[in-house]
Amino acid sequence: MSTSSTHLSAEANTPLQTILVVEDEVLIRLVIAEYLRECGYRVHEAVSAEEAILILQAPEVSVDIVFSDVEMSGEMDGFELARWVRANMPETQVILTSGAERSADIAGTLCEAGPLLKKPYHTQEVVDRIKQLKAKAKRF
Amino acid sequence: MSAASVTVLPRRTPPSILVVEGDVRIRCRVSDELRAWGFKVLEAGSASEALTVLDAVPVDLLFLALDLPVAGSGWDMVRHIRERRTPTKMILTCGETDPLDSPEPFVRKPYRVAEVAELVARTLNWHNPPQA
Repeated sequence: MSTSSTHLSAEANTPLQTILVVEDEVLIRLVIAEYLRECGYRVHEAVSAEEAILILQAPEVSVDIVFSDVEMSGEMDGFELARWVRANMPETQVILTSGAERSADIAGTLCEAGPLLKKPYHTQEVVDRIKQLKAKAKRF
Repeated sequence: MSAASVTVLPRRTPPSILVVEGDVRIRCRVSDELRAWGFKVLEAGSASEALTVLDAVPVDLLFLALDLPVAGSGWDMVRHIRERRTPTKMILTCGETDPLDSPEPFVRKPYRVAEVAELVARTLNWHNPPQA
């Protein structure tokens, strides 16, 4: 696996951002991952928070943004994954999504991109959040 | 026209590959390599995910690990695909068992991802190796 720094986006001639999509519903994961690739992002996919951590720990992978569902099968949910990322990879940003009504306060403390993205979401909303994060990161 | 005079032209539209692998790092590496070759790549971490994808999306080739987390589910998938008689081709992989009587191509783990991509390309008549 090559790192994101070796790829350039055709649109802006800037280093291609790498997104890790964490979603246990395969058809949702497939659609959002494919859409993000068509938008020019480099995308890795994980079925669970545990898989996501394995990818994040792989030395050959560099992830800029984790886009994760909250409710997932497995030992960890999306909130716990976000906490893990905060603790271990503070430079990696997190966007959370959920179909359930959850406390915006919890998500607000874990997501740099603002409140939790409510399911069902439009794929373009995800791209908008990613762009917001990128713009915010440039300001600081 | 005799069979001998038929020329098989290379494909122009990217074939779609479903990579079914329980080990996320292997799945990630092989999928990245196949994408670098221009294939459209879908990923599944289990047989049940793979069946959901196959019911929803046409797939040209299944790159299937037989050693999936649920024991026996890889072979169940093979039987399912054979029974469905779909045009989906298969390449099998495994780290432990060598399925000698399987008619499908087999790659033993650990493999080089480039070796897998070359085999997939040959199987699907796809001539688009990644640029160096």
